Amino acid sequence: MVWNCLTTEERLIDHLDGLLGAEESAALDVHARSCAACREMVARVGTLVEGMHRLEEFEPPQRLIARILLETGPREEKSKGKSRWGWLAPLFQPRLALGAVTVFATMFIVLQSAGLDVRRLSMSDLNPVNVFRATNRQVHLTYARSVKFVNDLRVVYEIQSRLQGQPEPPRTTTPSERNGKPQDQIPRSERELKNHLELARAPEYAAQVCLLMSGRNF
Amino acid sequence: MRRHTRRVYNLSYRFTSNRQEAEDLSQEVFMRIYRTLRSYRSVNGQFTTWLSSVTRNLLIDHYRRTRRDRITDSIDDSMPHLEQKESASRRPDDQALANELSSQVQGALAKLSPELREAVILRDLQGLDYREIQQVLSIPEGTVKSRINRGRIELARLLEQIGVRPE
Repeated sequence: MVWNCLTTEERLIDHLDGLLGAEESAALDVHARSCAACREMVARVGTLVEGMHRLEEFEPPQRLIARILLETGPREEKSKGKSRWGWLAPLFQPRLALGAVTVFATMFIVLQSAGLDVRRLSMSDLNPVNVFRATNRQVHLTYARSVKFVNDLRVVYEIQSRLQGQPEPPRTTTPSERNGKPQDQIPRSERELKNHLELARAPEYAAQVCLLMSGRNF
Repeated sequence: MRRHTRRVYNLSYRFTSNRQEAEDLSQEVFMRIYRTLRSYRSVNGQFTTWLSSVTRNLLIDHYRRTRRDRITDSIDDSMPHLEQKESASRRPDDQALANELSSQVQGALAKLSPELREAVILRDLQGLDYREIQQVLSIPEGTVKSRINRGRIELARLLEQIGVRPE
């Protein structure tokens, strides 16, 4: 059997494990006797392996075990929960929650004032151009309504003043007395009241006409 | 728990030659074990083999991560740490010799390539058999034996260079 230095190096592990056959062991011995380098290497590695097998293990420090128990204990459950909801934790501060509520309320009021239906809000409604148009429309509507309201108040006032200005009719009148009363007085006051009503609505009509002519569609 | 911690810590320390890194890596190993415990199947091997496999993977990750700033030149660097070894089972003389050999082996191990180093550690310092090492390293048994053999020869050569001869 041919046994050289390369064979010694390759089969050294089997030699140390006692896995070489009788013929291979004899060949190794013969080669080692004639090769000082291989003899030295076999002895050196054999001693090293024996020495390493005798080495004791290091004791892990107590603090390491404590750290491991701490990390894998109940705290792990906490970190599990934190990983899921941890990113929301800063939002649960009272001051931030109050701020968020204020922002939402302000936005709601602004959008409502602009005439946007918050329940059916779409992305196009948030376009600044659309917001401006809606706000402009809302302002004109509000103005027109206020004009109408003021005019209505004026009419009511006119009616009240007319009604208060007339003498109260007697509670009991005979048919002869009713027939003796001038009949043209009531129709005259009705005509005047009608004229006043027409006059009072004149500004409103004028405003609508102007708006229609300017192309604004309410 | 202590037995597994000792195994993981020794493997980590023998590989990194740094006590603090070994502690951090050991903790990381157990964190990972804790998270992935459900994926462990006993039919795929013993728990200790799986433990060694997880440790080895983390060690390789750590080795790649710290490749740039690693210092593996001086054997003396590991001496102060190794002198703190805790063992009271030997006589002082034997203990001193064992500590000396341990530190010398540790210094030489640090100079081995990671492939040879992990194979030698698993076999000669952790006492795993070839089949277990094959599972841990996910390489054929022939490659395992080849790496162990080359690692031992290289380790003996390094110790010879610094004039160390284990008795």
